[in-house]
Amino acid sequence: MTQRQIKFGAVPTGVGGPGAHGVWLEPEIPGDASVDIQWYIAIARQAEAAKFDHIFIVDSQFITPDSPPHYLNRLEPLTLLSALAVTTEHIGLVATLSTTYHAPFSVARRFASLDLISKGRAGWNVVTTGDEGTAGNFGLEAHPEHPDRYARALEHVRVVQALWDSYEDDAFPRDREAGVFLDPSKLHKLNHEGTYFSVTGPLNLQRSPQGQPVIFQAGDSEWGRDLGAEIGDAIFTHQPTLEGAKAFYSEIKTRAIDKGRDPDQVLIVPGVSVVVGDTDEHARELEAEINRKNTDFGRSLAQFGRIFGWHDFSQYDLDAPFPELPGTNGSFKTQGDSIVALARDNGLSLRETVTRVTTPAPGVFVGSAQTVADTLALWFTERAVDGFNIHVRTPSEFARFTDEVLPILRARGLAREEYEATTLRGNLGLEIPQNRHTAARLEPVGVSV
Amino acid sequence: MTRQLHFGLAYHGVGGPGQYELWKNPEIEPDAGVRIEKYIEWAQLGEAAALDFFFIADSTFITPDSPPHYLNRLEPLTLLSAVAATTKRIGLVGTVSSSYNAPFNTARRFASLDQISRGRAGWNVVATGDPGTASNYGRERHFNHEERYGRALEHVTVAQQLWDSYEDDAFEYDVPNDRFFDRDKQHAIDHHGEHFSVGGALNVSRSPQGQPVIFQAGDSAEGRDFGAAVGEGFFTLAATLEQALAYATDLRERAATIGRDPSTLLFFPGISPVIADDDEAARAIERSRYKPADFDKRLGEFGRAFGWHDFRQYDLDAPFPELPHLDDSNQWRGARAIVQQAKATGATLRETVELASGFRPSAFVGSPATVADEIERWFVAGALDGAILLLNLPSELSAFTERVLPLLRERGLFREQYESTTLRGHLGLPVPANRYTSVAV
Repeated sequence: MTQRQIKFGAVPTGVGGPGAHGVWLEPEIPGDASVDIQWYIAIARQAEAAKFDHIFIVDSQFITPDSPPHYLNRLEPLTLLSALAVTTEHIGLVATLSTTYHAPFSVARRFASLDLISKGRAGWNVVTTGDEGTAGNFGLEAHPEHPDRYARALEHVRVVQALWDSYEDDAFPRDREAGVFLDPSKLHKLNHEGTYFSVTGPLNLQRSPQGQPVIFQAGDSEWGRDLGAEIGDAIFTHQPTLEGAKAFYSEIKTRAIDKGRDPDQVLIVPGVSVVVGDTDEHARELEAEINRKNTDFGRSLAQFGRIFGWHDFSQYDLDAPFPELPGTNGSFKTQGDSIVALARDNGLSLRETVTRVTTPAPGVFVGSAQTVADTLALWFTERAVDGFNIHVRTPSEFARFTDEVLPILRARGLAREEYEATTLRGNLGLEIPQNRHTAARLEPVGVSV
Repeated sequence: MTRQLHFGLAYHGVGGPGQYELWKNPEIEPDAGVRIEKYIEWAQLGEAAALDFFFIADSTFITPDSPPHYLNRLEPLTLLSAVAATTKRIGLVGTVSSSYNAPFNTARRFASLDQISRGRAGWNVVATGDPGTASNYGRERHFNHEERYGRALEHVTVAQQLWDSYEDDAFEYDVPNDRFFDRDKQHAIDHHGEHFSVGGALNVSRSPQGQPVIFQAGDSAEGRDFGAAVGEGFFTLAATLEQALAYATDLRERAATIGRDPSTLLFFPGISPVIADDDEAARAIERSRYKPADFDKRLGEFGRAFGWHDFRQYDLDAPFPELPHLDDSNQWRGARAIVQQAKATGATLRETVELASGFRPSAFVGSPATVADEIERWFVAGALDGAILLLNLPSELSAFTERVLPLLRERGLFREQYESTTLRGHLGLPVPANRYTSVAV
């Protein structure tokens, strides 16, 4: 590839994720959008027509009546993406799955299956699960502590990747004349005995054209950053300012180098909200309207509790100082700690804290198509990002992005005209990992599995 | 409506147990186990014939001796989702083990498939036979027989409770009043049982068929009790009408004893019809198709029932070997039956393997009229409600759909076209009332 280009992902959240109470009220959003496969297929095709790299499915596995509309009732990521795999041709398919609540053998098999069904377009967004209540859905007394979850995640991903290499790429000669279906010397057991997992293997699936699914990672804590630098092919983050994003970018790339990795093989792809208007002023009006629809103090207060393990804040005096809270193990710990500090440092009441935290700051990527294109290009060329995961609110808003902003970026050579490859790795410019057993065979220097 | 036949269609890609030569057939793509297009094509052929469901078997432990299809195949629910998006009517039944999966995940994945297919999902519940599976899931040993079925029953009942998390009218989508849903119609299940603790609620609402259909296969006393408690479709391997009838009668009685309507249990022997212009020609084809793999492969696969025990170490012509590892738990029931028979008859290892993998003529072989007659005879006797077609070649399937099904249709025993959009609808099974709604009424 000659010129470095911006990577784009689309993040559909159906009837509305956290803080987006107003999405389902939009006339173009069907009430059952989050469980209607046709709705996802339409969004994926819209993104594919715009040559997006991937569609990105977020997830969680614990709900309360106060959960956001999309969370209440949505399709499971891998079943959903399999249906997209056979109704699209090029776009990558990235699903969120928790390392805390799934067995590595099942995870490896389901992603390998999606990868084969899609001919090499699968990606796994590795999360350790934020909602503490998830433990109750999986028979655990308590959600594991933060450091424990990340150590577990690292071992989990390593086991899954080793399982994906069970068969070398030429393990199946399928030679009818010679009568040889399998070359058993190219089928490898794993025999893993680790701190968290014991898995014998082998996995009962061959590799896809991209070798292994792409690993996405999301998590901004110290442990999350370390895990991302270790195993991430792409990092999903949230960075509100250019300066913050640049600092995050260089930190992750430096950590990757320290771990002996090529920093160009770790892509930073934050999630962003984009509002495109006829003019900058018009876009700000649209943004204000969206925020107004999303603002409902009662719901904001209830959802605010999620950060603190669905703590019930309705029990407190809203106008008294921010209350003392029990500890939490959730992945939202980083966010929770900073909110408590904000409230303490500024002497805020509960009401003031909730309002400040749940009222969106003016968006960075809000303006005319030209302004949005300029800002995206600036972040990219300033090395704050390698790409963007665009939150899809409504199809018509998304169309303004694909039809008005992308052509400007294409004209500058910053966005692709056509897909370069048939696989997700190919389009993201990521190398195909060589099968470890093949590598060991070619270079017999005591490589362990 | 008069009682009707129901048919499922299984897919075994490049060949399941005993089918070591299938992948060499030019009608079979050598990568048919991992090519989604082949699965879709097969399901669409079934749908064109208005069959009730497409059926995916599964296992999650392999050795180099595993059958070709087992070595390398797509995962049932991811593949069925892809089939859901490329078919409209045919039911989609996937096998998932109740021993090695968490009920919350099982419930969610099937509920998701049920939504994607608009009410066509079915779960074939297996307790997992291969003891080696334990080592892929971090357990030192496989659950024993009682544990497996105890877990299976609790797993299914928890999944069914989770599927009822939302009452059918929970989502209001009332824009003018800004009411997305009625929070009183979301129910946490708070289950704390012997094997599982699950809080809920599940984050997927019910499909047009209410809940996925429960399929089951299992012949032991525990397996039968489990099936009688929760099974709706039964995948059986009966060799004779008498055997099939005895099994179905026993299950219907067990179900009636615990208060279930026996007519909601449907029995589907797995059959591989061979059809030709006349009976003699069909029998000749059946005999010619039996091409046993070389003895070494059969010997390797024979070990599966014994936890993939390696029988190559023994003298083939000596009496059947002593296997002390079968004594340590009751998980080896099937294997012990084989040993007992060998001891009783004085069979050698070679003779025992020959017997286990030998040629067994099927009842469903002959002219189209003969096969249709035989199916009708079993149906009228109450030995089956239909069958799961274990066929591999498109030519075998078309012989059945184009020559036998028309005869069954003429007799009013099988539908001309789909009359329903859901799997429950096709099978004539009732939509289960939501437990929370029924309580409230």
